[in-house]
This record gives sequence, C-alpha cells and structure tokens, in this order.
Amino acid sequence: MSKLAIHDLTVRYGKLTALDDVSFTVQEGARVFISGPNGAGKSSLLKAIAGVATTAHGRIEMDGDILSGASPEAIARKGLSMVPEGREVFGQLSIEENLLIGTGIRRDKTAIAEDLQDIYSAFPILAERRHASAGALSGGQQQMLVIGRALMTNPKLMMIDEPSLGLAPKIVDQVYDTLVELQALKGLTLLIVEQSSARAARVGGRMILMRGGRIVGDGDAAVIGNEDSLRDAYFGNANHVKEVS
Amino acid sequence: MGSVSQLFFDAASLGGIYALAALGIALIFGVMNLVNFAHGEYITFCVFALIIPSTDATAHLLLGRAPAIVLVPAILMVGGGLAVMSEALIFRRLRNATPVTMMIASFALGFVLRYALLAAYGGRPKAISLWPGLNTPVELLGASVPLLQLIVIGITVAILGVLFGLLKHTRLGLEMRAAAENFTMARMLGVKANRVITGAFAISGALAAAVALILVTQTGVADVRMGGPVMLVAFIATVIGGMGSLPGAVAAGFLLGAASVILQAFLPLEARPFRDAFLYSLVIGCLLLRPQGLFALSGAKPRV
Repeated sequence: MSKLAIHDLTVRYGKLTALDDVSFTVQEGARVFISGPNGAGKSSLLKAIAGVATTAHGRIEMDGDILSGASPEAIARKGLSMVPEGREVFGQLSIEENLLIGTGIRRDKTAIAEDLQDIYSAFPILAERRHASAGALSGGQQQMLVIGRALMTNPKLMMIDEPSLGLAPKIVDQVYDTLVELQALKGLTLLIVEQSSARAARVGGRMILMRGGRIVGDGDAAVIGNEDSLRDAYFGNANHVKEVS
Repeated sequence: MGSVSQLFFDAASLGGIYALAALGIALIFGVMNLVNFAHGEYITFCVFALIIPSTDATAHLLLGRAPAIVLVPAILMVGGGLAVMSEALIFRRLRNATPVTMMIASFALGFVLRYALLAAYGGRPKAISLWPGLNTPVELLGASVPLLQLIVIGITVAILGVLFGLLKHTRLGLEMRAAAENFTMARMLGVKANRVITGAFAISGALAAAVALILVTQTGVADVRMGGPVMLVAFIATVIGGMGSLPGAVAAGFLLGAASVILQAFLPLEARPFRDAFLYSLVIGCLLLRPQGLFALSGAKPRV
C-alpha cells in the first residue's frame, strides 16, 4: 500500500482553479520533489493535503485513511506534519516552546524528551538559545527550527514548502544534508516543494513537475530535472502548440 | 501626601477593573480576531445572577446569599459558562466569517442578553448589598481607603499573576499563545482549535464575572446598563494597548483608570462634568501618535 494517495484532487479559489484533477501516489520512505513555475499549484497541493485549503473534489488518503475533509489538527494527529512556505515560526514564543507546541498530540513523554535532545544535538544553535524568542533567529536558523518543530510531532509523512526560500546556497546545502540524514534515521516519507530542479536533481529522489494546476512530468529527479519536460513546464509545450496549429 | 496616596488607590482600583475587562476582550481577540462587544453584557449578566429574577424595586439575593467561598467560584462559572455557551451556539458557526460579521453578531448577542435581563428584572436600578463590611475605611499611608479598594487592587494583581502564569506554564497557555500568533500553523501542529477557543472564552467570561463582583460590591447597585460603559473603556484599552497584546491591554487599562482619576482630581471644577471629553481627547492623541497601539505586536495580523 502506498503511503499517500491523491485521487482527482481539485482546489479552487473562487473562479481560479489552482489544482486541476491531480492524481499520484507516494511510496513509504520516498523523497518526492514537487517542482514547477509560480502558480503551478505546488503550495495549494501541500495545503490541501494538510487540510488548510478546501478541496473542491477529489480524495486524499494516507495509509488508507481518508484525509480530505478532516481538520488540520486531525490530519496532524494522523502523522502528517507540514512546514509551510515562509516558515511561520511563532516569533513571540521561545525556541523551545516552538519545538514543544506540536507535542500535544503525543503521549510518549520520555520519547518526546529524547526527540528534543536529538533536535538539539542536530542543531546546537537551537539548544544554545532555547529560551530566546524564535523571532530573533536568522532565516537559516528559523528553517532548522521549523523542521525540528515538525519532527517533534513524530510524523510519518513530512511536507516542506520551499525550504530554500530566501536562504544562502550554503545554508540550503546544510538544510538538505540534515533532511536527508533525518529521513534515513526516522524512515520518513518526504514531500518537498523545490523551485530549483537542479537542487532536486543533486539531492536525488523522485520529481513531480507541475504547471497550471496539473502534473506535466513525473520521474527520477536527475532525469526529469534536465529534460525538455522542464522547459515545457516553464514555457509551455511547443510541440503541443504545433500539433494544434 | 494623603491626597496623593488617595489618588493612587483610586487610580489603581479603577484601572484594575478596566484592566480585567480589557484582558477578557484581548484574550478572545487574540485567538479568533473577534472584538466581543457582548463582553459588557457578560458582566451585567453575572451581576444579575446574584439576585432573584423579579421586577421588584429591591433586590433579593439569590446566588448572592451564598458564602463567599461558594459564591465566588459559582459566579466565575456562570460567567465562564455564559461565554462558552455563546461561543458554541454563535461564534463557532461564524468562525470562517469575516471579523466584521463576527463583531456584528457579538453586538446582537449583547442586545439579546441586555433585553432578556430587562424582561426578567425590569429597567430600574436595584440596590444590592453584597459584603457591606468591605466598605469600611482603613487608614493607610495617610489616606482613608475603603477596605474593598485594597481588596480590589490585591485581587486584580492576583488574577493577573495567575493568568500570566497559566499562559506561560500550562499546555493550554502555550497553545493559546501560539494560536494567537498564527492559528493555522498551530492547527497544523495538532493544536485543537475548539479547545483553544473554548478555553479563551471560558477565561474571558470568568474575568467578566470577576469585574461584575468588584463593580457590584463597589457601587451597591445592579443595573442592566452597568456593563456597557466598562466594556467601552476596556475596548479602548485593548486598542491603545495594541490589539491582541495582553500586557498591552492590562497596561492601557490601568493607564485609562489613572488618567480618569487624575482628570477628575485636577480639572477645574466647572470642567469636571466634561471629564470624559478630556479623557477621550487623550485617547485620540494617543492613537494619532501610535496608531498600532502602545504595545503593538509585530505579528498582529488577521487570522484568515
């Protein structure tokens, strides 16, 4: 059984169709990049799965449970954690409070304490400033914090929207190194929105290419990321235009 | 010396009432962007819960007859229960509505409560004597202060301490602070929207009940119009304090109480009837200088 299954998912904002009958499945433990130009529907896809964007129709299943129509908090309880675009740290809360806010869904107190220590050893800067308010962290540190915050919910599936947004390339390398490491360690399934196909190709995994709310390519990131399909996604399918005319 | 400390006690006790009411409004605004204009009627409702429903001119104590140890928790529960019920019956259904729709619904709820009280108790203010012993004056720092005033100040400080402790050190408090900052993100981390919002309404209603007890003991009157003016000043305090900032609401509540007492004391005699005009001129000046509020949060933005 696949970890995540999306069937004919459609999301509309008023008259605008952000996602148009999208279907795909994700295998357990996979690393899937969602790529494509602005307005392709990448963020809408993640928001719909997390339960914060209303689906017009279609079905979302995780481990065979139907997620579509459930509240964001119910979806989080099923083991799905989201790191949204722009990170959304709780700037007024301390770093430690940010990390602990998602543990309300867990009952395994000792494991929570261990996980917190794991995060602190993975990101020593967070341990050092654990009582400082999170708003004072740099962009890269905030990215580490929100990844840690999502991990603290002990997710099975983690979705990250543009982890590289606004970060220096060197920091992005660090973020991805950490993600790959954590994925291997925890057996996570990862769904990552990443604008840079070159980056996705380097990290490795599967890539789903989107354009105009539809999936226009799906395959190995190293292949898809360098193919014509990528150009098509950004500039439209020239062959298709020829066929029509 | 005597008159200065007298002023201080007056300002602190009046400011305390405003601060508690403002906190009740700011709490709910923080988690769901609702300015609950029914808050004043929560206060009035709690006052009337003390007496037997009748249109008689004199008040017959109902809950008010109970000893303080029963009365205080009971009235806090009445306030909390009323607020929680209004959330479950009305505001929960409007959660995806615009803030303006919710605000108008809260106005409507306020009117419904007020007229329900009017129907049950009549419109004439009633004399009500709750804990009359508390009005005996005590000599302190050269001022003659009613015992009640000291108790009000003490209780206000205690409530503030308990509330901030709760927000800082409990799971619900953490969730409320996170929800106040970014509700959607908090929900994506498993924070239950209903739990946080119900919690905020319960605390807010209990604060309204505390204000009701203080008001009724101080004035000795039960009047269906008594909650409105307090709500108005408290709302202004939340605006001056920076919408959604709890410390801001408290500070601005005390500030308004102090300004009001000082104006009353130092305005020329013939200008005193117009004290509120001076007070609100100060408010306008304050808003012109800092429209975002004195203690505005950087992250104070609409939830939807």
